[in-house]
Amino acid sequence: MGKRAAIIGTGQTNHCSSREDVNEMELVYEAATAALKDAEMTIKDIDAVVLANMELFEGRALPDMWCGEGAGAFMKHAFKISTGGTSGTSGAISGYYHVASGLFDRVMVVGFEKHSEGDASGGMALTDPFWDRHIAAAAIGNFALSVSAYMADRGVTEEQSAKVAVKARRNACNNPHAHLQMPDLTVKEVLESPILAYPVHRLEMCPQSDGACAIIFASEEIAKKRCPRPAWVRAAVTRHDHIYLGEVKNRLSTMRSLREAAKAAYEIVGIKEPLKEFDVAEIYDPLTYAEIAWYEALGFCKDGEGGMLIDGGVTQMDGELPVNPSGGVISTNPVGASGTIRVAEGALQIHGRGGKRQVPDVNLALVTGYGVYCWSDVLILSSKPY
Amino acid sequence: MRREVQQEELLRVPVHMKLHYRFPAGAHYERFFKEMKETGRIMGVRCPECRRVLVPPRPVCGECFARTEEWVQVGPKGTVVAYTSICFSFIDLTTGKPRPIPYGAGLIQLDGAYSAINHILEEGDPGKLYIGMRVEAVLKEKREGNIGDILYFKGIEE
Repeated sequence: MGKRAAIIGTGQTNHCSSREDVNEMELVYEAATAALKDAEMTIKDIDAVVLANMELFEGRALPDMWCGEGAGAFMKHAFKISTGGTSGTSGAISGYYHVASGLFDRVMVVGFEKHSEGDASGGMALTDPFWDRHIAAAAIGNFALSVSAYMADRGVTEEQSAKVAVKARRNACNNPHAHLQMPDLTVKEVLESPILAYPVHRLEMCPQSDGACAIIFASEEIAKKRCPRPAWVRAAVTRHDHIYLGEVKNRLSTMRSLREAAKAAYEIVGIKEPLKEFDVAEIYDPLTYAEIAWYEALGFCKDGEGGMLIDGGVTQMDGELPVNPSGGVISTNPVGASGTIRVAEGALQIHGRGGKRQVPDVNLALVTGYGVYCWSDVLILSSKPY
Repeated sequence: MRREVQQEELLRVPVHMKLHYRFPAGAHYERFFKEMKETGRIMGVRCPECRRVLVPPRPVCGECFARTEEWVQVGPKGTVVAYTSICFSFIDLTTGKPRPIPYGAGLIQLDGAYSAINHILEEGDPGKLYIGMRVEAVLKEKREGNIGDILYFKGIEE
């Protein structure tokens, strides 16, 4: 195990479909300054900066060069993490590793994306020139394929999926930073929204957002001095699966990378009954069906019972384990920041700074990231350092 | 905080790029695409350790970190293991134009292969598609040596 490290400050922009009033560097600066303010620090206190972004979406190479100064990276140890959807959680894990190594005491991580500047489905398909560029059907089509197999395998219904969308967009109303806030959304409206790719409706899919999120990690000594209730990182695990969609059998049902990452993280912390032991979860839900599948992969229930958790209200704000009080990725999705937001929201809950979305008495928070076809990150945050 | 300006006052700098790339296919994709172009055969490679037949073929088995060298013919028949019907328009990066919608897409497990491949299905009506459906690859007459040489997969009676 490395040295103890905690999150002592977070900051976010208000996320929305288009922040045309700023360029990307200004967006990054907004999040970075908000996090510094939250941690009661100045940029002079920061030793190292990690940036996270899905650069192909904006069609601009070296975002760390264009946006680095906005994150205060000038003349500091700085670099970029880019791992698709997991960029934001992998960036946060990198920030944690910096402090856990003992080489750095105060590290800022900034995840960011301006979807409005480019073409996300084009960016997605720019990965593999030999195969996917010809036949891949962007994130929505690829997910829709997996959904058909998942529904057949586990018997999840359209109504259960739509309930996840309603939960997410209603929770988002308590989060001033969230993109899609829909207080009156109903299951019927979700299922009457246009089908993007059978069986996935528009309101079951995450949006494309502009936004940035920053997190400040600190060593034990500094965290205890500067933060009344630090969010200690107790586990951080990454797992990558195969290259091609078709090589992962029943992707949503098996979700091997998430199962393996969760198993490893639970072992580190000694989690036996995740549904009972965690007080809150912020999981990376690119679409409604994935959230139900992740319930199963994360061991909140047995395989095939994910739909029952949403039916029973177990993951609602007043349920046994509130999942995504922030509204989740289904409500807010600036990709490079989406994972960072999960970590920040998990930390906020422990800090007790969640405002209207605060879950009472949070001591243990589960955070996940999801990227590419099948990559997963899992972090466990705690109010206690050990 | 959002800057208080009217939408029409904002300066936007549009950029349209035409970029050129050349990707060496490597020995495995070269063999795969040449075989497809010249003979119409679909080929996979078998891992010497776990014995899985990988399609698309590649030089290293991810699970075993072993070199793959044994070529085996797979398909052209296979089974649909996942399907969808794409109803939203997006840019086809091989043509730069939106692909006509709706169209069927599937994960097809070719006979003899471990992995399934994603490809286009002739049938685009989700009501007529099902998991377990038997299909067969339909190839272009004049093949070019890329995965587009498979036009789509059509349903077959067996």
